[in-house]
Amino acid sequence: MKFRRPPWVKPRAVIGLLVVCAVLAIGPLLHSDVYIHNLLTLTFIGIAAALAWNWLGGYVGQVSFGHAAMFGVGGFVSAQLELKLGFPMLIAWVSGGVIAGLFSLIWGHPTLRLRGPYFSIATIGVGEATRLVGTYWDWFTGGSSGLSLPMHHNLKFTLYWYALGLAAIAMAMSYALRRSSVGLSLLAIKSDVDAASDVGVSATRLQDLVLFLSGAMIGVCGASYGSYFSYIEPGDMFGFDRSISWVLTGVIGGIGTIAGPALGAVIFVLLRQYLIASYPQLYLGLYGILLVLVILFEPLGLTGLAMRVLHRARPDLAVTGVAGED
Amino acid sequence: MRHFKRVVGLKLSRIVELIINSVLLAGLYATMAYGLGLIYGVLRIVNLAHGGVIMAGAYAGWYLHELGVDPYLSLVPVGVASFFLGVVMYRGLVYRLPRGAAGGVQSLLLLFGLWLILRNIAYLLFTGNDQTLRTGYSTKAVTLAGELVSVNRMAVFAVAILILIILHILLTQTYVGKAIRAVAQNPDSCTLVGIRVERIYSLTFGLGTALAAIAGLLGATLFPFNPGFGSSELLKSFVVVVLGGLGSVAGTAIAALILAVAEVFPTAIPGFPTYLTAAVGFVLLVLVLVLRPGGLFGQRVLG
Repeated sequence: MKFRRPPWVKPRAVIGLLVVCAVLAIGPLLHSDVYIHNLLTLTFIGIAAALAWNWLGGYVGQVSFGHAAMFGVGGFVSAQLELKLGFPMLIAWVSGGVIAGLFSLIWGHPTLRLRGPYFSIATIGVGEATRLVGTYWDWFTGGSSGLSLPMHHNLKFTLYWYALGLAAIAMAMSYALRRSSVGLSLLAIKSDVDAASDVGVSATRLQDLVLFLSGAMIGVCGASYGSYFSYIEPGDMFGFDRSISWVLTGVIGGIGTIAGPALGAVIFVLLRQYLIASYPQLYLGLYGILLVLVILFEPLGLTGLAMRVLHRARPDLAVTGVAGED
Repeated sequence: MRHFKRVVGLKLSRIVELIINSVLLAGLYATMAYGLGLIYGVLRIVNLAHGGVIMAGAYAGWYLHELGVDPYLSLVPVGVASFFLGVVMYRGLVYRLPRGAAGGVQSLLLLFGLWLILRNIAYLLFTGNDQTLRTGYSTKAVTLAGELVSVNRMAVFAVAILILIILHILLTQTYVGKAIRAVAQNPDSCTLVGIRVERIYSLTFGLGTALAAIAGLLGATLFPFNPGFGSSELLKSFVVVVLGGLGSVAGTAIAALILAVAEVFPTAIPGFPTYLTAAVGFVLLVLVLVLRPGGLFGQRVLG
């Protein structure tokens, strides 16, 4: 059986992704800087999560302020499966992700049906309620003392490649969700639900699908984050700051674009390393200012900025259809 | 079942106490929610900075009290100042965004950013520690229907009711109020009959912000607060708005009462974990959204 490339997959994009992944995959063999190695691992997890947030916030246009709920659910379910039932790590990750995705459907399915900002507001409540339940549900989350995960020899080092794989999968899915016919349907839903339904796009099913994928990917990110630190604690996993971070990576990088959030995540991780070290009291406010400035002056964030620069340099190249913004 | 029997077996006096508590709490919730509902009803924007302004109002009252001003006296200056803060927020930021469906996500994100900034300012000025606003009458109580009721809580309730009555009169009897309601219904027609829509928008945003700050100040006399104060208040406000429909004063009051009852009564169940109280509002929100998306009293636009 011969594999046929769907028409929306551009060979250039596939090769680009493969080259970047190959370079990153052999990178650690060339240097032995543990700090950079670990920073990159966290960045990969951050990239996967930022992209997953963007599927919902950017493609569907439903901004979530509570994705940390799924991050925590994925993390704790996976940790418990490893600890209590002795699941292998990868299977525990995937199971955690699936359960996080199902969890997001429980509250997301009813609220996504409604027009307007109901979903976004509900996410604030979900995030807060999940955090509280997580903090006090000792049996499941270990309460405020958290859970310690099994440590294998060299696990932290090898997690680099797992995280890279996760980021690559998320990137490929971002591309597929935008460029395939599903992506076109999502664009239609985002601009006008009624018109989309009139031409036979099932808004309900697609929104649920994206919500599930987004929640599941965030859940897997939570699980890998837990394995990386080999210790998880509800206040950190379910924290509001965590939910905010994905809003910021998405908006700074370019909400609704394919690769923008990945760029946003890279910048966010670097910025945080620097800011937390230098101005621990200011970083939330700086993010707020950044958010306001981006929305006011460049709603597509860095991607929009790059497109503007590109357009100025080569006005003959019509840069269209990348962002799909109104 | 065991819990159920215990609830049924409650003494009458306990039930009276719970009802009084619910009603007093509902006044605060109604004030809090009305600001959010007003802005949403007229501008079709959910003011995510609402929680931040509630927090700012709490700190303003606390700070003035440290300077020796009674919190009830500082209601007026805090209200006026936050009105102008709201106007500035609208003219400086929200005004620049596209309207309609495209602007929805952007206004959410922008106002969310503003909330983060407000939070950080409060954190820098007052640290992250919990603060309480204690006055000489904070612990005074009078007997009402056989129950001891805090004087302060009754004062909060009275102020809240007064504000709602003033709002109702403003919206139904004055030219400005009628203009606000008209803009809520159809801004395009308003420009035709000579209403300056942008001015009404600024005014509404200012009013909504002032209500949030006043609610925050009132809340500060009852609960401890810190820079993170306001996120559950935002959610509660939204629950009340969704339950009560947009802008109807009576609807808001009833919705606030429902939320307060839903929060207060479970605390009487022995063994009910108090942290779950925070989830009550959310569960109510999802239930209403699923069962009655138009609110309990149907869609009504202001009045």
